Amino acid sequence: MVEPIIQLITVIGGTLALAVPFGLYIARLIAYETRPLERTLSRVENGFFRVIGIDKNRQMTWKEYFLALILTNGIVFGFVFFVLLFQDSIPILSNPTREGFTADLAFNTAISFVTNTDLQHYLGDQQLTVFSQMVALTFMMFVAPASGIAAAFAFIRAFIRKNFGLGNFYVDFTRVIITLLLPVAFLSSLLLMFFGVPQTLDSSVDVTTVEGRQQIIVTGPVSSLESIKELGSNGGGYYGANSAHPFENPNGLSNTYEIMLMLVIPVAFPIAYGKLLGAGRGVSILIAMLIGFGFLLAVGNVAESGPGALETRFGSFNSVLFNIASISTNTGAVNSGLIGMAPNAVVSLLLAMFVQAIPGADGTGMMTMMVYVIITLFIVGLMVGKTPEFMSMKISSKDIKLAVFIFLIHPALILIPTALAFTTGNAQALVGNDITPLSYTQVLYEYTSAASNNGSDYFGASANTPFWNWTTGIVMLLGRYVPIALMLAIAGSFTVKDRKELIEPIKTQGGLFIMILLIMTFLLTALTFFPFIAIGPFSM
Amino acid sequence: MSTQDYKSNGKGTTLPKNSAITAKVILESFLKLNPKYLAKHSPVMFTVELGFILVLGIALFPELSSEFVIYGRMLYIQVAVILFVTVWFATFSESLSEAQAKARVDSLRSLEKEVTARKILNGKEVVVTSTSLKPGDEVRVLAGETIPRDGLVKEGKSFIDESMMTGESNPVFKEKGDHVIGGTRIASDSILVEITAEAGRSFLDQMVSLIESATRPRTQNEIALAILLAGLSIIFIIVIGSLPFMMKYLGYMPDIAILVALLVALMPTTIGALLPAIGVAGITRLGRDNIVAKSGKGIEAAGDCEVLILDKTGTITEGNRSAVAFIPLQNYTEADVGQAAFAASIHDTTHEGRSTIDLAEEKKFIPASMEKILAARSIEFSAETRYSGIEFIPSRKEMLSTARADLAASKAVGDASVDSESNVNKKLIEIARSNKNARVLKGSLDSILPLVNNVNEAELKWKSQEVSKSGGTPLVIAVEDEAIGIVALKDELKENIRSKLDEVRATGISTVMITGDNQLTAQVIAREAGVDQVIAEAKPADKLRRVEEEQLKGRVIGMVGDGANDAPALAKADIGLAMNSGTAAAKEAANMVDLDSDPSKILKVVKLGKQLLMTRGAITTFSIANDVAKYFAILPAMFSESNPKLEALDIMQLHSAETAIISTLIFNAAIIPLLIPLALRGVKFKPEQPQKTFVRNMLLYGLGGAVLPFAAIKGIDILVSLFMR
Repeated sequence: MVEPIIQLITVIGGTLALAVPFGLYIARLIAYETRPLERTLSRVENGFFRVIGIDKNRQMTWKEYFLALILTNGIVFGFVFFVLLFQDSIPILSNPTREGFTADLAFNTAISFVTNTDLQHYLGDQQLTVFSQMVALTFMMFVAPASGIAAAFAFIRAFIRKNFGLGNFYVDFTRVIITLLLPVAFLSSLLLMFFGVPQTLDSSVDVTTVEGRQQIIVTGPVSSLESIKELGSNGGGYYGANSAHPFENPNGLSNTYEIMLMLVIPVAFPIAYGKLLGAGRGVSILIAMLIGFGFLLAVGNVAESGPGALETRFGSFNSVLFNIASISTNTGAVNSGLIGMAPNAVVSLLLAMFVQAIPGADGTGMMTMMVYVIITLFIVGLMVGKTPEFMSMKISSKDIKLAVFIFLIHPALILIPTALAFTTGNAQALVGNDITPLSYTQVLYEYTSAASNNGSDYFGASANTPFWNWTTGIVMLLGRYVPIALMLAIAGSFTVKDRKELIEPIKTQGGLFIMILLIMTFLLTALTFFPFIAIGPFSM
Repeated sequence: MSTQDYKSNGKGTTLPKNSAITAKVILESFLKLNPKYLAKHSPVMFTVELGFILVLGIALFPELSSEFVIYGRMLYIQVAVILFVTVWFATFSESLSEAQAKARVDSLRSLEKEVTARKILNGKEVVVTSTSLKPGDEVRVLAGETIPRDGLVKEGKSFIDESMMTGESNPVFKEKGDHVIGGTRIASDSILVEITAEAGRSFLDQMVSLIESATRPRTQNEIALAILLAGLSIIFIIVIGSLPFMMKYLGYMPDIAILVALLVALMPTTIGALLPAIGVAGITRLGRDNIVAKSGKGIEAAGDCEVLILDKTGTITEGNRSAVAFIPLQNYTEADVGQAAFAASIHDTTHEGRSTIDLAEEKKFIPASMEKILAARSIEFSAETRYSGIEFIPSRKEMLSTARADLAASKAVGDASVDSESNVNKKLIEIARSNKNARVLKGSLDSILPLVNNVNEAELKWKSQEVSKSGGTPLVIAVEDEAIGIVALKDELKENIRSKLDEVRATGISTVMITGDNQLTAQVIAREAGVDQVIAEAKPADKLRRVEEEQLKGRVIGMVGDGANDAPALAKADIGLAMNSGTAAAKEAANMVDLDSDPSKILKVVKLGKQLLMTRGAITTFSIANDVAKYFAILPAMFSESNPKLEALDIMQLHSAETAIISTLIFNAAIIPLLIPLALRGVKFKPEQPQKTFVRNMLLYGLGGAVLPFAAIKGIDILVSLFMR
């Protein structure tokens, strides 16, 4: 009992200690304040802007911002799609044993990585060339979180002050990659290499085992992928076994470091938000996220998971901790198979994906949390007889409409495809005709993971059929861009609102606010998904 | 018109329930069951109605679907009946609230001025009521009469007093071809008017159309809440719609009746059903206070009011200044001032004058030579001189009878009360005796000062300022060329205004008092009444300026007005309450009219606006919180029979699956009429920190809403199981 607590304190304490400087730095990025090494950094950026032809001073409306995001993501999607489709014809870093992906798998994989989901219907170590892993997927792993973080920048800017501007997507995107993700990922890669994660351009090593048999050990640029996999809430592993593979996650140290890497940016966001819009508010959101995270951990540990398919190097608590941290940040990496998770742990994982904001993925987690805040304040405002407002801005019916759409699309994207998978028999084709609560949960989990851009799943490469590739692909696509569009539209609506100089009727900070926010968040989620949890993991 | 009488009458007819539930309400509630109407006005109830049709269809024609039907026909009939009743409860609550509102308007109508008109019919004058007039009718209006409605002058010339419309006090000359305004008065001659306006464009008619739900424009908050409710409903439709397709493969037997029941139970039917009633009830409750709302927007904005701009006169103070003290100058006594003031006010019929005499009489400061004083010429107050009083005019006759006059005067008021020793009395007697031209005056300091020689100016100014400092208005009394003292007038605070304003402040609204008084007086009254800010020496235009300034800071402004020059500010303010006694322009500009012309009622409006939002919030929270218990009632009924693992969910231990469904639906339906009184009355509002209100409402409606259905459904289940063995 003592050991888990020490582990937990180390992980949370370490994450918070890292998140504070990260948060303050992110705040500077959001508010265009000077950063350390500003002159050097801006020279690099400006050079880049000039080459690409970006007017960095041009402010975008929410529509322009979203279109720029879609355009950028679309181009990258196209590139990756074709690389995967034709990876066997690409001469560099090639591997003759790796075939080109089918169209549906290439579509699914490219969508999966560009939407920050990283659902993998393939085994990376057996189906991808080093070129695909490095140039296509690792590259995409920067693009996807940078897009989400940039969107969150625009979203937070809407609240700073009237007509501050939502920013310029290209500028945010570039700055996030060059001055946030790249340096941290680079240092983390070195650290992970130090922990024992391989980094080489060779795709495999042939060894002779003790028993004298020949074995091919797949290696490659694992560490460079691994660091951004965790940092960017991506989760797509180099190996099919993901972070359960000893090359991705060799030991306790790497395990702890990877957990912190997953949590650091999502947790840094409330700090940045607090820096810009009031420390109390930021700390309150942070505390709400931590309490929610604690709740998920508690549910996940009611009963011990395993031993079954658990990775024995980590044991029940560390497996559940890693998986909850990964899935609550919508990273989707796992250090032990989901199949070994106890029903209560599965409930916890599903809850994390239903909520998407405790702490949620890089950028989008914070945005989703803010949408919960808006809905909460709407009810709170009515309860005290004031037209609801947030940061002294009236919450209009249009904002509510957009927020409601965000909460509406999520269950729709999970439940309708799940029902469809069963009625068309595609679910049965995968899990057998005798549907048990476990196999039902696996199907529900697949779409939940896709809709919340999580990426963890039960099926892996076995779901590589046209039906699963196309449906999960479409769900990921809609689950990513529709909410981002709606949230940016909310930002667009707030940025032009009048600010008042009055005190909030109910403070958007402090114990009462944290409590009511958590109740609303979990109640809305629980009411929506209760029956499915009941017939799924609850009956397992 | 006696508003007092009206009020008691109004309260008496505040529709006891039995009189309101008339056949008409019942009929209308059934007409509202029309799916077309529901789809447009209440999507939640429309969905329930669709569920009803589906369940009824299967009850009538079981062969329609066998795949998703496991329970018997009996259950389907029961569910259908309860669903129908649920929808009907919703339409009934709406009809009931509308009936109440209409009854209120009808009784308010009697308050609206109805005048008689001389209609020209076949060359003869017939006396009719103004409401029966149609455009094209011709009416004759004589001097002193009111023009019944807008029209054109056909014949004659006349001066018309349009002050009540335009605030312009000089009568306007009108002749053939000119437009005349209904409600204005003819000051001279007579004219023939051709009526041009339709009847029924009055503000009461606007209120009626507001109540008629078809045209009722919904407020921002109502729309936002409706969206939220629709969103929740759609989420539950997705949940319930996809559930059977998953259940089927897991070996459960999905049943349409149960699925529909679960959907209806989960959807926010309670608030969905009561939402229209809450809005209409707000208008009715205003009407109960004799306030006519012309738009729902104003009422709702009232809840957000952050700054109230109040006129001092009439709102915070009674508006009538009364004498409260006589302050003597050196060489004089209080009695001297009283007697002189009595004399100066003898012909003054204003409230100020009468109160001066009342005070003097009360203190027994009766001047000598009353007869002489009564006979003296009155000096009327004029805007130019700004003083009033009396002037003794020498007469021969008087000269002879001075002595007798003395005697008569003392006799008239009783010897004891006349202190012939006082300086003023000596002066008065001296004036009477010498029969000279002399004046006794009262007026403001600066108007009297030039007229007197014998005065210590510094003392007079200092004492005047003292009066101002205590919130009073000083009037200087002078006899001949000598200043005697000061009458302190004070505008008394309205009863309870302090506590009312304290309540306002407790809810976080700041108050601004506008007055023409000087800074000193204004500050004192503000302090006494508990007003936050003061705009002293204000001109009418200052109101509009202030409203605009505050709005620029994004604040929601409430204000009261009656004059024509208030109209722009009333129109600009978010909550504009016009007095019925005020000008038509003000009434047109404001979004509410108070028929009692009591400006302090704006506070009631603010309170009501808050209540309206709170009621919606409370019932919404209650509705959502209910869902927890409903899940625990219905899910075991759906699942635990075929899945023992889910028995853990069956914490309510209801009798059977059927009773669980029926009890939950009965609870769901019954809660609507049970909450109608709350919807109509509104959630209790206490002036306090919003935080406190929130915690209390959350505990009551949130926690209460989560706990109550557990007990209620269990209770209903026990009853139902007695009949369903």
